[in-house]
Amino acid sequence: MAKSIKVHIVLLAALVVLAACSPPGAKTEGQGSGGGGKKAQQDIAQATGDVCKVKPPDLKLQDAVVGFSQSEKEVNPFRIAETESIRSEAKKRNIEKLVYTNANSQASKQISDIRDMIAQDVDAIIVAPLLEEGMDPALNAANEAGIPVFLIDRETAGKPCEDYITFMGSNFYKQGKQAADLLADFTNENAQVAVLEGTPGASVTIDRTEGFEQQLEEYPDMEIVASQTGEFLRTKGQTVMEQLIQSNPDIDAVYAENDEMALGAIQALKDAGKDPGQDVKVVSIDGTEQAVQAIITGDINAVIETNPRFGPLAFDTIEDYLAGKPIPQKIIVQDDIYTKKNAQEKLDETY
Amino acid sequence: MSTGSADTEGLGGSPAWRERLFTTLQRRGAIVVLILVVAVSAVVFDNFLTEQNLENIVLQGAFLGLIVVGMTFVIISGGIDLSVGSMVGLGGILAALTVQVSWPLALILPPLVCGLIGFGNGLLIARAKMAPFIVTLAGLLGIRGLALALANEKPIGIGGSSPFDWFGQGQILGISVPVFFVIIAFAVGGLVLARTSYGRIIFAIGGSEESARLMGLPVDRTKVIAYTTSGALAGFAGALLAARLSAGDPNAGLAWELDAISAVVVGGTLLTGGAGTMSGSLAGVLLLSILQNLINQLGTLGSYAQQVVSGFFLIIVVVVQAYLSRKER
Repeated sequence: MAKSIKVHIVLLAALVVLAACSPPGAKTEGQGSGGGGKKAQQDIAQATGDVCKVKPPDLKLQDAVVGFSQSEKEVNPFRIAETESIRSEAKKRNIEKLVYTNANSQASKQISDIRDMIAQDVDAIIVAPLLEEGMDPALNAANEAGIPVFLIDRETAGKPCEDYITFMGSNFYKQGKQAADLLADFTNENAQVAVLEGTPGASVTIDRTEGFEQQLEEYPDMEIVASQTGEFLRTKGQTVMEQLIQSNPDIDAVYAENDEMALGAIQALKDAGKDPGQDVKVVSIDGTEQAVQAIITGDINAVIETNPRFGPLAFDTIEDYLAGKPIPQKIIVQDDIYTKKNAQEKLDETY
Repeated sequence: MSTGSADTEGLGGSPAWRERLFTTLQRRGAIVVLILVVAVSAVVFDNFLTEQNLENIVLQGAFLGLIVVGMTFVIISGGIDLSVGSMVGLGGILAALTVQVSWPLALILPPLVCGLIGFGNGLLIARAKMAPFIVTLAGLLGIRGLALALANEKPIGIGGSSPFDWFGQGQILGISVPVFFVIIAFAVGGLVLARTSYGRIIFAIGGSEESARLMGLPVDRTKVIAYTTSGALAGFAGALLAARLSAGDPNAGLAWELDAISAVVVGGTLLTGGAGTMSGSLAGVLLLSILQNLINQLGTLGSYAQQVVSGFFLIIVVVVQAYLSRKER
């Protein structure tokens, strides 16, 4: 009896493994507007760095096989919109083939995914890197094979133009600073702040935390009384907020590093008898439809956008590269800020 | 990599070759499935049988393979080790933290520390008679926490190209170094399992622990050695993975314990212990690796479709493998 139960457990486990490979899988950032089906193209805010000029192969985009190495499973709106945008843009531009892989939050898998693409002799690779560190073997292998790599949404160690062509994404550090300014504005620069951090170790978490903390130094009456990870997950955001509000009942401002955690936190605040948006000001980052909806209903005060719709920008950049045009080393996309003033009219730009 | 390098059991001495072939098929269900899958893949995908692609498959499976060698011992003894995935994370972090001090230390310390933890697991299981599932589940949680705490929750980059990197990225005679190590591990593991008294005791314990004790076999010591080996190999896999990534990632090896268990089971080892082969486990690792490679070759499946396909593939392999081996049981 006991043995057969064990067999069941493990077989089940084995299935889950192969299928899942990453249990608490939702490390992500948010971003918010651009290609998928709705409106909201990504606009370039800033293109910096010495211009990178590489001699491209003699190839048209339609004839190219392009690889897309996604880092995490599409468990949150950001990743869903990002993958969807790349896929639909590849289809729209009628490229030869899009080879899609997903690293399931494992750095080692992302490397073998990219190597598998190289073995298939793809013409260009779009990478959404999982980690800042640890991508070297993949970038080196692509380099040796002469296959250009384009980074989106997260940066990774390496030099543009050498290890990869360019990076396209948001400025997460600036988002953190903007969040601090917004909260200061809503609380008259006097608040007990709780921070819901993203997945530990992700560059997006590090930057959004640092940007926020540094900017908060400008406001001496604002104090961070608690800072904990909610792993970018709504459920985790809720449980963490429940605990925080119990141990610090005076919390009157929440900075959530993505919308999902903010939505969880709102629920926890309501359960604790608070009125989020009024008693406790809430600012988060991403620009998902539900979060912007929550601005309209008054539960969230402001959301800073992070645009996941990289498809058009990524394929424009690859096309420029193939045409031999110079490519900037860093392409920072323009992120909107949603508040009560514009939430309604911009709702259809969200994801 | 040749699957023959890690054979563990001699063929039965049946007179007629047909019967002999049939016995082989029964015993080596996983290898038969592996050959079938390779053959079909080679026909379907142009890029499958290229040197580079085969190297990718083997290299991708190398780190998991090291863990699987230890896991095979543990499972045949009737136990389970859920802590190995977290040990990969801890091993990588220990390597990344010590490599600046001395690169040989970065290779030695992770298997040492993880081996010690495995030793502790073994003592709790063998001496204190605690359930392996719970002891190593506690390890899974605690060790991952330790890795995250040591790393300050961030991946630690290993700058520069010290000799350490070679262990993850270099080659010996055209074979990637981690693959070299995993071949050695399977060869030694296979020999120990099939040709030594230690191996026979492991099978005896898995068959019936009580009988093994009554026979006066060193049950406790044998189990402790199995868990120590499992831990040490996982720590070493973590160090090699850090060398490969040029970084220690505290989240490395997440859920690998389940991958390792499925590789062992797909390889025909009984989860209840007492029967299994190292060559089957090797075939299991390669099958998992090939499955991933095929999904990437296809390149069109969304991540949820990938999960569904993986689930189906695994269940088909287990069913075919079980069917081939049924008569033996």
